[in-house]
Amino acid sequence: MTRGEIRCQVGDFTLESQWEVSPGQVLVLFGPSGSGKTTILRAIAGLVSPIEGHIEVGDQVVYDRDSQTWVPPHRRKVGYVTQQYHLFPHLSVSRNISYGIPRDNSKRKFRDDSDRIAHLLDAFHLEGLANRRTWELSDGQQQRVALARALATEPQVLLLDEPFSSLDTELRRILRREIRAVLSNANIPVILVTHDREDALAVGDAVQVIDQGRTLEYGEPLRILGQPGQGRLARLVGLENALAMRVESRHPQDGTMVCVGIDSSSSPGSSSPETSDHDTTFRLEVPLSDFDEGQAVTVGIRSSDIILAAEKLTSSSARNQIKGQVTMVELRPPGYEVTLECLGVPIRCHITGRSLSDMKIAEGTELWAVFKASSCFLVEDETG
Amino acid sequence: MRTLLHSPSPWLPAGITATAVYVVFVGLPVAALLIRAAQQESFFESLTSSLAMQALRLSLVTSVISMVVVVLLGTPFAHLLARSNSAILRAIDSIVELPIILPPVVAGVAMLMAFGRQGIIGPALSSVGVSIPFTTTAVIFAQVFVAAPFYIRAAKMGFQSVARDYEDISQTLGVSPWATFWRLTLPLAGPSIVGGLALAWARAIAEFGATIMFAGNLTGQTQTMPLAIMTALESDLGAALALSVLLLVGSLTVLVVLGLFTRRQWQGRL
Repeated sequence: MTRGEIRCQVGDFTLESQWEVSPGQVLVLFGPSGSGKTTILRAIAGLVSPIEGHIEVGDQVVYDRDSQTWVPPHRRKVGYVTQQYHLFPHLSVSRNISYGIPRDNSKRKFRDDSDRIAHLLDAFHLEGLANRRTWELSDGQQQRVALARALATEPQVLLLDEPFSSLDTELRRILRREIRAVLSNANIPVILVTHDREDALAVGDAVQVIDQGRTLEYGEPLRILGQPGQGRLARLVGLENALAMRVESRHPQDGTMVCVGIDSSSSPGSSSPETSDHDTTFRLEVPLSDFDEGQAVTVGIRSSDIILAAEKLTSSSARNQIKGQVTMVELRPPGYEVTLECLGVPIRCHITGRSLSDMKIAEGTELWAVFKASSCFLVEDETG
Repeated sequence: MRTLLHSPSPWLPAGITATAVYVVFVGLPVAALLIRAAQQESFFESLTSSLAMQALRLSLVTSVISMVVVVLLGTPFAHLLARSNSAILRAIDSIVELPIILPPVVAGVAMLMAFGRQGIIGPALSSVGVSIPFTTTAVIFAQVFVAAPFYIRAAKMGFQSVARDYEDISQTLGVSPWATFWRLTLPLAGPSIVGGLALAWARAIAEFGATIMFAGNLTGQTQTMPLAIMTALESDLGAALALSVLLLVGSLTVLVVLGLFTRRQWQGRL
């Protein structure tokens, strides 16, 4: 278990944070660069001194302002992996991994340590690289060495600072899976810093969104990052579709309400968002909320929640089907982002490369964007 | 600029000429020294003469002691300079290299003014029975004074090249700051430190001006090799040539050391 509550001052920047992570749990600190995420890790590691607060690592109080406790970094039992890994270039892979293991000349200790290093090399797929220099390794291998080195000392908490940032998309996916497996075995609390939504969703058990030194939101990753409810949060998470709309009608019996594009003129008599070819109003059916008819709302839709169809689906449970024309196709690993102009409103959809080629999607193609009412969510106004 | 570098026609003849002039300018005296020394029938006798051996022994002993002093004082000083942002240290840093640009004779006079019998602290030293000028200690003082900045500058750059993040990571791995210095910082800064030490040693062994002013030219006591060469030139050209060749070999050794030990495979990867 690690927990803490700190206030740090770095120049004019003030950071306030609190956390509690149980063994086997991964807490993701999510936020933009400069939001203070790394400072929290450095404070836990003892590399930054808070001005107030209390930090516990395992059973040990490593910092407490009131009792003037401050344990130096080398006695805190933390494993810390930085964005650049900082592998020691003058040492081989195995000597990097064994660097933090206390030296002891007894044969038994030596054998135990050798076994541990061999086990770590094996766990991180580094067999055969023990005597290589770290700068001869690929990015992915370097990251594995950094993790193995951090875990070799059997830390009470593992701190990972943007561990995937320098890896390509494919390697990221592989390593996320590997790390998740290794961390489960290690059974220690893990705090991972990232500004990548996919990292957070793939590895995190809980996410804390940090912005400008303050915690904006805390909770389950899918809830926080899947449908970000706050305007600021939506922007931080990189919400692809945030549409300015107005509540046109409420349907409590269906648990939905219909919204129209803020600049669209309403077509009298029409109450369904399933547009015909001749509709001129951008209309969506979204989950019911407290907003009254006529009130302005921002509707969020994740690009990955939208299906593209060549024709209108005549038999489908999806409440939203909107016709549009492709205006842009961009490579957005691991797939493509297709922008569909629907009645003057750009809708971004994420599809795979195979779908793109199978459907022969190119600029100018006419398609239908299909998504459920429950895929839409209301983004709160920042000032609200 | 890029265009000029990639179109060699106007610069190539000038470059070749300048290179040839420089090689002749430096190479001719060196070659002349070696040729004239080789022509000396008594070369090996001169080399093993009492004058040469005493000067050689004194130069080696004093320069080794000087280097020990330079390393003991210079290493922690350079580390502090590399790691501190203090305004006072920055001011001190800017005067560290003063002895490099100061004429050695001036350095000798300055040391006399400080430690000489009439110097600022000379009388105090005399009162406790310590007299530094015109002793072997004075030779070491002069060598440390002129050579230390070469070492401090190189060691500081070496320590600066080791990002603090490495030391931070080392500490999070349970290694104390002191052990981190020995196991991480020093090996990583090693090539710069060795290079600085080689340059400092070369400067110390070649020291002339400050030594003759502050330590004099007493055979077996303060007469180092450069001073012995000057003395021998007045009476025994053969001995002067032999000692000169010895110093030349020493200088070439420094160059080899710089080339071999100051390069590491991982350099540029910090």
